[in-house]
Amino acid sequence: MDGRRNVLIVDPSDETRVVLQTALERRGMQTMAASHAKQGLALARQHHPDLIVLDLEIDPSGPDEVAAPFAEQSRIDHAALVLLGSVRRRQPLSPGEYVTKPYHYAPLIRKIEEILSAKDMETNRAVAVCDSWK
Amino acid sequence: MPSLFVIRGNDQGTRFELEEAILRLGRDKSSAIHVHDTEVSRHHAEFRRTHRDFTVSDLNSSNGTFVNGKRVNQHLLASGDQVQVGVTLMLYTGPSEESHGTIGNSVDIAAQATPDDHSRIIHSVSQSEGSRIFDAHADLSQNSWLARARSNLQVMYHTALAVSHTLDIDQLLNRIMELIFEWVEADRGCVMLFDPDTRRLDPRVRRTRNNAEQGDKIMISKTILDFVVEKNEGVLTSDARQDDRFNPGASILKLGVREAICVPMQGRYHVVGVIYIDTSTSPQQILERGGTARRFTEDHLKLMIAIGHQAALAVEDTRYYSAMVQAERLAAIGQTIATLSHHIKNILQGIRGGSYLIEMGLTEHDESIVGKGWKIVDKNQNKISALVLDMLTFSKEREPDLTTANINAVVRDVVDLMQTRAQEELVELAYQPAENMPDLVFDPEGIHRAVLNIVTNALDAVTDLDSPGRVAVITRYLLEKNVVQIEIRDTGPGIAADQLSKLFSPFVSTKKSRGTGLGLPVSQKILTEHGGKIIVDSLPGQGACFTLELPAVSPTTSSTTSRDAT
Repeated sequence: MDGRRNVLIVDPSDETRVVLQTALERRGMQTMAASHAKQGLALARQHHPDLIVLDLEIDPSGPDEVAAPFAEQSRIDHAALVLLGSVRRRQPLSPGEYVTKPYHYAPLIRKIEEILSAKDMETNRAVAVCDSWK
Repeated sequence: MPSLFVIRGNDQGTRFELEEAILRLGRDKSSAIHVHDTEVSRHHAEFRRTHRDFTVSDLNSSNGTFVNGKRVNQHLLASGDQVQVGVTLMLYTGPSEESHGTIGNSVDIAAQATPDDHSRIIHSVSQSEGSRIFDAHADLSQNSWLARARSNLQVMYHTALAVSHTLDIDQLLNRIMELIFEWVEADRGCVMLFDPDTRRLDPRVRRTRNNAEQGDKIMISKTILDFVVEKNEGVLTSDARQDDRFNPGASILKLGVREAICVPMQGRYHVVGVIYIDTSTSPQQILERGGTARRFTEDHLKLMIAIGHQAALAVEDTRYYSAMVQAERLAAIGQTIATLSHHIKNILQGIRGGSYLIEMGLTEHDESIVGKGWKIVDKNQNKISALVLDMLTFSKEREPDLTTANINAVVRDVVDLMQTRAQEELVELAYQPAENMPDLVFDPEGIHRAVLNIVTNALDAVTDLDSPGRVAVITRYLLEKNVVQIEIRDTGPGIAADQLSKLFSPFVSTKKSRGTGLGLPVSQKILTEHGGKIIVDSLPGQGACFTLELPAVSPTTSSTTSRDAT
């Protein structure tokens, strides 16, 4: 790891992947992308990204079924989860952010940045706590 | 032309046509209606046109003017009314009616029987007894019974045919009324149906025998209708006086007799309406028939009940069918809208992504990002236009735009168009045109669209495969069958057996966000318009093969079809 934040994009649309990867890399992040859920999950397990963007329509099995293994993985890795879905949900099914399609890219990217900087602050605080133990 | 026909008195047999707006009746020679009756005053009565009929006014005559046996000062006549002055009895006939008028105004339900209406129910038969129409009668000889039974059976058979051949209620009821008129000597008839919402009886079909001299309106007594509907019994009514009915010598017989049959239309669940027919027998006709006025019999009544039942079942059936079709249509519209909005939403998402990149590239003065964004916008713009074209092709009944062209060239265009995408996705797209392909008459734009949709599907099927995919496009000209074939074969996952039947159903797509569900139906429609077809051959796991086959129409032999080739 070179200290850069690592974002995994799991989306069936090659256009969405291109747009998000281009925009996030411009902001100094490292990105990986997958067009299938299975492939995405493998990448998550292998690379432990800081944030996963997941399109819930990637698989016809249903949004809950698609999200469940990613939610589990993000809990293990303390990774943030941004879910892109069609219908506004009553309650987010995991500690992730829910974004309704069709979305605008600027707010989505801003949200990803906010989540990551909040994570940074948390990590820094954790590091500070660790330091005080010394 | 309204008229007065003298049926009794010195002028018996004379017909006075009521041509003028006002006519005077009297013993005076100057009277338009000059009667030779000593009991009639010189200036006895006046007939004045009121709308289409006439009003009779008594001119203070010594012996009075009677309508239907009642003394009147003034009375609006209706067809069939009997006017009596002195000993002269005349039958009033109103203007002849149009065969097709507004039905609503031509049938009236009389709230109460008019005092002059002497109609009584002389027979009533329960709806459930209608099935006994073929019962043998003891008083009939075997042969005549058989002949009648056969004729009845024929009527029922034709009714059943009519019922099975149409889904339009009015058309059906018209046909049934036609059948009734062919079979029974009815002068007028109507079918009334209950409005499902208001539960009111609405006249739906009305029929009059051409030569019938009948009143304008069919008046049906509400009492009789209520009886028919509530008791669910058919009735046979007659206004002939009981004592005189079968006595040819009786004077009252000369007034004519009106008979009517009114039956319920008993469906599976409800009485949906009534069928009514009536007939008037004039004095002359009674004489011609050897003194009997009865045209409607209990047999007629029973058969009418059976017909009413058939018609009611058909009405119910048609209504349920329409309701079902409507429900299915609504469901289909819902599915269509869902699929379309999903597809449009994806296009919108693509355009937003492209625009975002363009904006970013412009802000950062990075042309490569602008180029990336533009490519996405452009692609989605093409998707929108393809969607609109598909929707138009699918929604319209259209004639193919026939012109002379070469199928090989049209398919070549499609392959060239898709080659870029195939290369991007590392798919091999091969084309093998027929060497013997002649110029033919077809719609090049339509065939281009049909082939493009299927090549796109084939590319979609082989993208994201573990092994490199392959799509082969082959054209053939089969001289012996005189057809052209365009074969598109892919090495994709194939089509599951349960999906084959839904393949050409519109708005059904297995391609998730990529498909509109319009591609195959549109291609099929274009081929059908050309008199061709699409043959699908696929086994799961072994790829799919779509063959577009259309008749080879040569430019020289297609003078009738190649309207654009000139």
